[in-house]
Amino acid sequence: MITFLGNPLTVLTLLPITGALLLMLVHWMADDEKREMLANPIRYVNLGIALLMLLMATLIGLEETFGLAWGEYLYQNCEVGAVSTGSCTLISSIGVSWHVGIDALSFPMVWLTTLLIPITMVVEWEAKKDGPDRAYFHSLILMMEGALIGVFVSLDLFVFYVFWELTLIPMFFLILLWGGSDRRYAAQKFFIYTFTASVFMLAGILVMYFNNDASWVGNITGKSFDFILMETSTNFIASEGLRSVVFLLMLIGFATKMPSVPVHTWLPDAHVEAPTAGSMLLAGVMLKMGAYGFLRLGVTLFPDQVIQFQTLLLVLGMVSLVYGAVVCLGQINLKRMVAYSSVSHMGLIFLGVATLQPLGIAGAIFMMFAHGIISPLLFAVCGSFKHHYHTLEIDSMRGLAHSSPWMSAHMMVGWMGSLGLPLMAGFVAEVAILIAFYMTFGWWVVLPALTLIITAAYYLWSMQRTIFEGGGDVQLPPTMRDEEPRDITWHENTGMLILGALAVIYGIYPDFFGMFEMMSNWASLLVENVIYPPEVNP
Amino acid sequence: MNLGTLFSGPDMATILMPEWILLLGIVAMILVPNLGNATFRLPIPGTSIRIPYLIGGKRFSVTGDPRVPAAIAAFTLFASFITALLSQILDSGVGMAEACVTMNGLVQDCTSDGTHILRVDAFSRLMEMIFTGALLLALIANWDRLPATPHHRIPLKPEEDEIKETRRLFRLLNNRRQVDFALLVLMVALGMCTVALSTNLFILFVGLELASMASYVLIAFNKETQAGPEAGVKYFIVGSVASAIGLYGISMLYIWNGDLAIYGSGGLAAKWAAEGPNGLATIGLGMMLVAFGFKVSAVPFHFAAPDAYSGASGPVAGVLATASKAMGFVALMRVLIGITLADDGSDWTILIGAIAAITMTWGNIAALGSRNPKRMLAYSSVAHAGYILAGIAAIGALGPGDGSQLIATAIMFHLAVLVTFKLGAFLVIALLECEGRGYELEHYHGLARRDPLIAISMLIFMLALAGVPPLAGFLSKLMMVSGIISSTVGDVSGSSLSEAMGSLSWVFWLAILIFINSAISLFYYLRICVVMFYDEPDRNLRLSRAPMLRIAIMLCTMGAVVFGFGVLADVLASAAADAATALFS
Repeated sequence: MITFLGNPLTVLTLLPITGALLLMLVHWMADDEKREMLANPIRYVNLGIALLMLLMATLIGLEETFGLAWGEYLYQNCEVGAVSTGSCTLISSIGVSWHVGIDALSFPMVWLTTLLIPITMVVEWEAKKDGPDRAYFHSLILMMEGALIGVFVSLDLFVFYVFWELTLIPMFFLILLWGGSDRRYAAQKFFIYTFTASVFMLAGILVMYFNNDASWVGNITGKSFDFILMETSTNFIASEGLRSVVFLLMLIGFATKMPSVPVHTWLPDAHVEAPTAGSMLLAGVMLKMGAYGFLRLGVTLFPDQVIQFQTLLLVLGMVSLVYGAVVCLGQINLKRMVAYSSVSHMGLIFLGVATLQPLGIAGAIFMMFAHGIISPLLFAVCGSFKHHYHTLEIDSMRGLAHSSPWMSAHMMVGWMGSLGLPLMAGFVAEVAILIAFYMTFGWWVVLPALTLIITAAYYLWSMQRTIFEGGGDVQLPPTMRDEEPRDITWHENTGMLILGALAVIYGIYPDFFGMFEMMSNWASLLVENVIYPPEVNP
Repeated sequence: MNLGTLFSGPDMATILMPEWILLLGIVAMILVPNLGNATFRLPIPGTSIRIPYLIGGKRFSVTGDPRVPAAIAAFTLFASFITALLSQILDSGVGMAEACVTMNGLVQDCTSDGTHILRVDAFSRLMEMIFTGALLLALIANWDRLPATPHHRIPLKPEEDEIKETRRLFRLLNNRRQVDFALLVLMVALGMCTVALSTNLFILFVGLELASMASYVLIAFNKETQAGPEAGVKYFIVGSVASAIGLYGISMLYIWNGDLAIYGSGGLAAKWAAEGPNGLATIGLGMMLVAFGFKVSAVPFHFAAPDAYSGASGPVAGVLATASKAMGFVALMRVLIGITLADDGSDWTILIGAIAAITMTWGNIAALGSRNPKRMLAYSSVAHAGYILAGIAAIGALGPGDGSQLIATAIMFHLAVLVTFKLGAFLVIALLECEGRGYELEHYHGLARRDPLIAISMLIFMLALAGVPPLAGFLSKLMMVSGIISSTVGDVSGSSLSEAMGSLSWVFWLAILIFINSAISLFYYLRICVVMFYDEPDRNLRLSRAPMLRIAIMLCTMGAVVFGFGVLADVLASAAADAATALFS
C-alpha cells in the first residue's frame, strides 16, 4: 500500500528535500506583492508534506515487523546481487549506489524524525523574523527532515556521509538567520566543529571502502561503498590493528556528534543560540545521528574493537554523564542547562553500549528514542519562555505557575521526564541501562546511579526556583518591562502536549507501536550474531 | 562511415583539429576587425580605378562592431572545445586512438619508434577541454564588461532612451582593447593546448611560454588602475626568472640525454629507467620543478600569486587559478610521472610531499588572515595546489599501478571541476567589480539581500571549495584522499593499534593533513557565506545586469552541483579515468 509512490524510503528521503527546494524557489521567483501572499500557503504546504511523511512512516511501522532476523533490511531498493551488477548505482565509476533499507535500529529514528518535524514546525509556527526571508524557515526544516532520514536509511556509506553533512547546511542557516544574539559565532562554530569531526569519520569510511572488495563490478577502483557488502563480507579489514585505527577515526566523528565530553563544546553554543525549532531538532534528532552511526557502523562492523575499547567507552560515557550533570548545577541560563543535560544523557548511551548486554544496548537505543521525545519538549519550553519572557535566566523569574500555568505544567512534565521519574520514558531507558550495567560491572553501578541524583537535583532546583518560589507573588524578569505576562500560544501548547503525552505513554507502556520490542530484538540479535558470534560463545 | 574517424583520422589536419581552430581564430582575430573599405588607386594617370584591398580604411559596420572580437574568440574556443569533446565521445566506440606527431610532421602510432613531439590521447583531449572551457567561460564573462577606462562602467540600470543607452554602451565598448583581450585569450588557449599535447620538453616549454607571456599581459590589462600593472610586472618578473631556471634545467637534461623527447627509445624516460637517477638529471629536474612550481603557485614560489590575482580582473584571475594552474600540473605530471616513474623508487617523492604539506598549510593559514576576497581565493588556490601535490607525492610513493591511476584520475577530475567553482567564485567577484567594488569583505555584506541568486551561487562555490558534500569539490577531494589512503592501507599490518599506526606510510598522514586543512579552510570560506547572509548591505542597489557574466556564473553553479553527485559526475570521472590510463601508458 505504501509502495505506490515507489520505494517508500526513497520518497521519505527525497520528497522533503525536493519539496523544500521547490517551495523556496516558488517564493523566490514571485514578485514582492505575491511574496507576502505566498508566505502563509507555503508554510501550510511545508507542514502538509511533513505530515504526509509522518503518515508514511507510521504506515511502514504498522505494516512491518522489525527485528526478526539479523541483517534483514526492509524496503531495500536493490538487493546485494543488484549492487554487484550495478543496477542501482549512482556514481558507478567509484562504486557509489543508491541503496536504502530500514531495520529495527533505523525505524525508531525515522519515525521520531517524521514525528518531530511537524511538531517543531507547529511550535515555531510564527518564525520571528521580519523581511522576506521569513518564508524560508519551514522549508529549511523540511529540507533538514529529508537529510536526517537520508542518514538513517542509506546503506551506502558515501550517500550516508553526504546526508550526514547535508544536515549541517539547513541547520547552519536556521541558526545564522533565526538564532539568538550571538548566532553568528554559534553558527560558524557549529558548522566548523562538526564538519571537522566528520572528516575523520570520512577517513575511516575511506579505509573501509578500500577494504570492501567489489572487483566484479568493474569500476575504476574495484571497491564499493555498500554497507551490506561490508557487513556480510567474511574478511572485511583483515588486520586487527587497522580495524582499531578505523574504529577510533569513526569514534571521533560519532562522539562529536553525540556529543561526548572532550568534544562537546559546540553543543551548548549551538543549542542556546538556535531558534526553538532548531534546538528541538538538534537535541531531538541530530544528536541521535552520532549514536545511530556508532551503533550502525561502529558496533556492527567492529565488534571486537568495541570489546577492546570497552574501557574507553565506559570512561567517555561516565565522564560525560558526571561532567554534564555537574556543569548543569552551575548554569544560570535555562537553555544552557538543558543543553548540558543532553551531554549528560548521551553519556548514558555509551555506558549502555559498553555493557555489551542485550538489555544495555536496548536501553541505549531506547534512551535515544526517549531523549528524542523529552529533550524537544524541554527546548520547546525554554523557547516559549524566551519568547514570552524575553530572557532565559533562571534567577530572574519567580512564580511562573501564576502567570503561565500551561507553560509551568509542560516544564514540569519535561523536567520530570528528563530526570528519570518512574512512568516516564526516560526512566525505562535509565533502568534498563543501569540493570545491564550491574550485570556486567557489578556494584560499579553506584557511580552512574549517584549521578542521576545530581540530575534530579539541578532539575528540581531550577524548577522550584522558577515555578514555585516567590511566596505567591509573580516576580517578572526585568526584560518584561511593563508587558503583561502571557501563557503559551496554542501552537506551542499543541506541540508540547503531544510530546508530553508521548513521554508518559512510553513511560507506562514502552512497547507502544512496537518500539521497545523491536529495539530489544535488535539488541539481542546484535549480541548473539555480532558481538559474541556463535563460534566463540556457544 | 564512422563519424569518429573524422576527428581521429590519420593526418595532422584532423587529429590536431582543436589547435587548428584556435590558430585559425587567431588569424581571423587579426584580420576581421581590420577589414574596411580601404582602396588603392592604381597609379595610372588619367584614371581613377581603385582596387579595394580591405585592410584598413573605414571599417564596415559588421567588422567595426566592438563585439566582433569577443564573438570570434568565443566561437573559436567553443568550436575547439566541441571538437575535442566530440573526438572523445565519438571515438570511444572504436577504441581510443592514440596518435603521435613526429618531429617532421608525420602522424604515427605512438607505439612505433620515432621522435614524437606531440601526442593526442584521452589525457590531452581532456586537458584541452578544461583549458578551452575555462577560457571560454572567462571570455563570456568579459563579454559585456571591458571598460575603456576604469571610470566607464556598465550602466547599473537601463535608461529610458534606448538609443541613448545603445550609444553609451557602444562608446564604452568601442575600443581596440577588445581585440587585444580576445587575441590574448586565444593565444593563452593555444599555448595551453600545446602543453597538453607535448611529449617533448622543448615543445612543452614553448607552449608554456606562449601561454605565460599572454597571461602576463592579461594580468596587467587594467592598465589604468594602480594594482593592474604592478601585478602584471611582478608576475612577469618572477615568472620569467622561474621560466629561465626551468629552461636551464631542460638544458641540463639535454646534456644528459641528448634528446628532449620524454617517451620512446631515445627518450628521457628510457634513459632514466636504464641508468637510474643521475646527478645532472636530478638537478635538471629540480630546476624544472621551480618553473612548474611557480605555475601551480606552490610554496615557496607562490609570492607573486596573491598580488597577481588581486591586480587582475576577476575572470583573468579565475583563469590563472584554474586553467593556468592546470597547465602547470600537466607539465609537472608529464615530467615527474612520465620521466621518473619508470624507475620505481622516485627520489622526489619526499620532496614533493614536504612541499605539498607546507603549501596546503601555508595557503590556508595565509588565507585566514586576508580581508580581500580575491587574495583569499588566491591563497585558497595555493592550498588547493598543495592538495594536488600531495596526490602527486602519493603517486611517487606508490609507483605505477592501480592506486596511482586512481590518484591521477582524482587530480584530473579535480582540475576539471575546479573550473566550475573556483572560476565561478572569481566571476562573482567580477560581477561586483562591475560597480568598482569586490576587493574587500565589506562589499559582500548582505549580498543575499541585494541578489539572492548570486549569493546562493557564491555559497555553492564556497562550500564546494571547502569540500562540503554533495558538491563537486567534495567528490574531487574525496577521490584524491581515497587514492592516497588506498596507497597506504594495502600494506598495513600488525594486530595492535600501535603497530598499525607504526606501519602506516607517511603518505597516509598527508591524507589526514588534507582533512585538517579542509577544516581550517572552512573558517574563511564560511566567513564569506556568513557576511553574505547575515550582515546588512551598505547599499541597496541591485547588482549590475551584465547578462553574459550572469550566464557564465550560472553555468559554473550548475557544473559545481551536477559534477558532484549523480550521472554527470560519473561521466566526468570515467573521462578522467581514461585520461589517467592514457597518462600512464
